[in-house]
Amino acid sequence: MASLLQPDRVIYLVRGEKRIRAPLSQLYFCRYCSELRSLECVSHEVDSHYCPSCLENMPSAEAKVKKNRCANCFDCPCCMHTLSTRATNIPAPLPDDPTKTTMKKAYYLACGFCRWTSRDVGMADKSVASGGWQEPENPHAQRISKLIEYYQQLAHREKQERDRKKLARRRQCMPLAFSEKYGLGTRLQRQRPGAPISALAGLSLKEGEDKKEITIEPAQALDEVEPLPEDCYTRPVSLPEVTTLRQRLLQPDFQPAGASQLHPRHKHLLMKRSLRCRKCEHNLSKPEFNPTSIKFKIQLVAVSYIPEVRIMSIPNLRHMKVSLSPASVFGTAPAALGVNVASELEDSSHHLCPFCSIVAFRKSNKIGFFIKVIPQKEEDADVTVTFRMRHDFRNLAAPIRASEEGGDAPPEPIWLSHHVELRLGPLAA
Amino acid sequence: MPIFDSLGSGGEKTAIVLDLGAAYTKCGFAGETGPRFIIPSEIRKPGQQQATKVVQYNINTEELYAILKEFIHILYFRHLLVNPRDRRVVIIESILCPSHFRETLTKVFFKQFEVPSVLFAPSHLMAVMTLGINSALVMDCGYTETLVLPIYECTPILPAWEALPLGGKAIHKELDGFLVEQCTVDTDTTTGQSVPAAIGTIPEETVEDIKVRTCFVSDLQRGLKVQEAKFNLDGTAERPAPPPDVDYPLDGEKILHVKGSIRDSVMELLFEQDNEEKSVASLILDALVKCPIDTRKVLSENLVVIGGTAMLPGFLHRLLAEIRLLVEKPKYSNVLASKNFRIHSPPAKPNCTAWLGGAIFGALQDILGSRSVSRDYYNQTGRIPDWCCLSSPPPESFYEAGKNPPPLMKRAYSMEK
Repeated sequence: MASLLQPDRVIYLVRGEKRIRAPLSQLYFCRYCSELRSLECVSHEVDSHYCPSCLENMPSAEAKVKKNRCANCFDCPCCMHTLSTRATNIPAPLPDDPTKTTMKKAYYLACGFCRWTSRDVGMADKSVASGGWQEPENPHAQRISKLIEYYQQLAHREKQERDRKKLARRRQCMPLAFSEKYGLGTRLQRQRPGAPISALAGLSLKEGEDKKEITIEPAQALDEVEPLPEDCYTRPVSLPEVTTLRQRLLQPDFQPAGASQLHPRHKHLLMKRSLRCRKCEHNLSKPEFNPTSIKFKIQLVAVSYIPEVRIMSIPNLRHMKVSLSPASVFGTAPAALGVNVASELEDSSHHLCPFCSIVAFRKSNKIGFFIKVIPQKEEDADVTVTFRMRHDFRNLAAPIRASEEGGDAPPEPIWLSHHVELRLGPLAA
Repeated sequence: MPIFDSLGSGGEKTAIVLDLGAAYTKCGFAGETGPRFIIPSEIRKPGQQQATKVVQYNINTEELYAILKEFIHILYFRHLLVNPRDRRVVIIESILCPSHFRETLTKVFFKQFEVPSVLFAPSHLMAVMTLGINSALVMDCGYTETLVLPIYECTPILPAWEALPLGGKAIHKELDGFLVEQCTVDTDTTTGQSVPAAIGTIPEETVEDIKVRTCFVSDLQRGLKVQEAKFNLDGTAERPAPPPDVDYPLDGEKILHVKGSIRDSVMELLFEQDNEEKSVASLILDALVKCPIDTRKVLSENLVVIGGTAMLPGFLHRLLAEIRLLVEKPKYSNVLASKNFRIHSPPAKPNCTAWLGGAIFGALQDILGSRSVSRDYYNQTGRIPDWCCLSSPPPESFYEAGKNPPPLMKRAYSMEK
C-alpha cells in the first residue's frame, strides 16, 4: 500500500511543456483534454480574498481599494501577532457640566503576546470598537502624485507624436509597398542603432509645445546633510527602543528607527487559488467562495479519474535474478475497468526489462498482477521499473460530445495510456 | 488612488513593480507611494535549514529557473494577491545584472506566469525619475556592491560607471569577524565566554540586526582618527573614546556584549582607501572624471544616493565630507574644476527610491506598453533584447522618427570626442 505513506514509490509521467514525474496524488486530470496535469503546467489564479484572522470574505474590487488589507484586524508592529481590541472605562467630563465626570467606554489595541498597546505610541483611545483606527499617510504622497501627473503628460505627448508619425510614414511608404513583400521594410526599420537604449532613456520635455502644461518644481539638492546627533557617541543604546530590521521593513513607507513610532498595520489578506488548464482554459480546481469552507466547486484530481497503481509488496531483489513483485491497479472511475499493462522497452535508462504481467486476481474494481523484475545493474541504488499502462476512460462529464451525438447513449470509451514508474528500492543485501 | 482606478473601469490594470535586490526584494504596484512589501530575497524549502538566495549568478539555468519560479509564485500569491496574467511587469534591474539571469527571469515571467509584458528598467535611471530632474550622479549602495552611474538628460553615461564590492555583505563579513574576535557571551551559568565557544557562528540575520541597531558611521574627523589608530602599529595615535558597549540578547539566555569600539569602526571599511586609493567616496569622483567635461558641473551638484546601505545613520554626512576632502587632493583637483557638491533627498527611503521611480514609470500607461517587451514578441523570438543589443529592439519600442532620433545615447556610446 505504497500510495498513502510513501507517495514517491509510484510515479506518473506528465507530458507537458516539460516532462514532470510526480505521484498521482499530486496530479490533476483535465477531462476536456483527457490528459494529466501537474501543478507546473496549469495556470494559477487568484479566486477570492479573505482575512486569515476574522475569516471574512472580501470582494476583489474592495480588496484592491483597501490594498489587500482587512478593515478590522490589525497586526502588532512589534511581534506581528494579531492585535485584539480592549475596552476600558475612563473618566470623562460631562458635556453639560465640566466639573463632573462620568465613566466612558474607551477602546484601544493591545497585543496579547508581547504586551504592546496602541497607547505606547501615543495613539488616542477610540470611542468605537472598530473602524476608527487610521494608518498614517506617507508624507511624500502629494509630491509623488504630482510627479506622476507630470510624467503622464509627457507620456501622453509622446504617444500622440508617435501616432502622428505612424500615419505620416505609412503614406510615405505607399509607392514602396512592394518592398514589404520581401521583408525588407521591417528589417530596415529594426536596425536602427541606439533605438533600444532610447527605450530606456527617460522622457524629456520639448520646449514650447503645449499650452496647458503641468509643471513641477525639480527637486532641490541640499548642500549639507544632517550630521549624527552629538550624543550619539556617548549615549548608551537601549535596544528595546530601537526597532529591528524586520519591524522596519514591515512598514516600507516609514521604516522607523525608534520603537515609539511603530504603528499597527491592518492585517494582510490571503487568497484562495483556482487552477486552470493552460491548453483548454477549463478550471481544474475551484474552491468554494466561503473562507471557512474547505470544499471545492471543481476539483479534478487525478486520483478520481486515473487508475492508481499500488505496490503490494516488494520481494528481495538480487542482481540478475528474477523476482516477482506483486502490484495492483485500483480503478476509481465509475466505468468498468479495462486495463492493459505493457512493458516499456524504449526507455532503456532503467535497468530492468523483461517483463511479464500475470493477472493474479480480479476483484470488483481491482486487478492484481505480478511484475517480473530482473535487476540489471549492481551498483545502482534504486531498482526502478517503468511500464506503460493503458486503460479505457469514459468521459461522462463532457457535455459537448454528448450533445453532438444527440442521444442519451453513453459516450464512447477512449483509451488513455500512462507512463508509470515503480521505485522498488535497493537490492537486497 | 484615482477614482476611476478604484472602480476598475480604467482599462488596463496597474502594473506590478518589482525590485529584485540581492538582499531584499521590493514589490508593489505602479502609481503607489511605496512598495507593499520588502521581503528577503530568499526561499525556504521544506526540510532545509538554510534559506536559498534567489539572486545568484553562478548557478546553472535550470536551478535558477526553479528558484525564481518558486519565489515569484510566492510574490504573486502570498503578497501581491493578483493574477499574473492581467498585469504588466516592471523589473528594476542593475545594469551589471548578467544576461543569463535576466533571460531566466524573463522566461519565468513569460512561460510560467504568462504575464502580458515585461520591462527592464535600470535602477539608477529610475531613481532620477523620483526627483523631477533629468541629470544626476546616482550611487547605488546595496548589498553586494556599490555602483555609481551618471545620468545626463535622462540617459545613462555608461562608460563612466564605477563599482566596488563594498556594501552590506562586506560590512556583515567585517562585523562578524570583529564580533567573533573581540566580543564575549554571557550565559546563565558562565560569563565572558568567547563567541565560538558559546554559540559557534553568528547567523547573518543576527549580524545584520546588530549592524542596523547598534552601528553607525562616525563623522569625518572621528573616522580619520579611528582609521589612523587602526593602522598605526606602534600605538602612537590615540583612538577617540569609543561609544558605550551594548548588551545584545541572542536568545532567552545568552547575551552578547558588543564592544563600543566595534560600533563606530566597522563602517570605516567603506571609506578606507584600498591599495588603489578607492573608497565609496572616490567612486563618485572617479565617475565624474570619466564624464564629458560639460556635464560635470550639473552632475556634481546633483548627487543621489540610493540603496539600503545608504540608510546607515551618518552615512550621507560622512560621504559628503569625504568627497569634499578627496576633491582637494591633486589627483582630482587638477582635473575637476567644480568643487561644489550637493546631495538630493528623494521622496522615499533610500532602499525604495529605485522602486518608487519604477512605480512612477509604471503608472504611465500611454507608453508602458510600447516600451515593454510583449509576450508575443518573446514567444516569436524566444529571447529578451539586451539593453546593449543594437540589432533587434522589440517591434513597438523603437522611435518612429527616422530623422531625429534621440542623439544622447549615441553620444554616450561613441568613442570619438
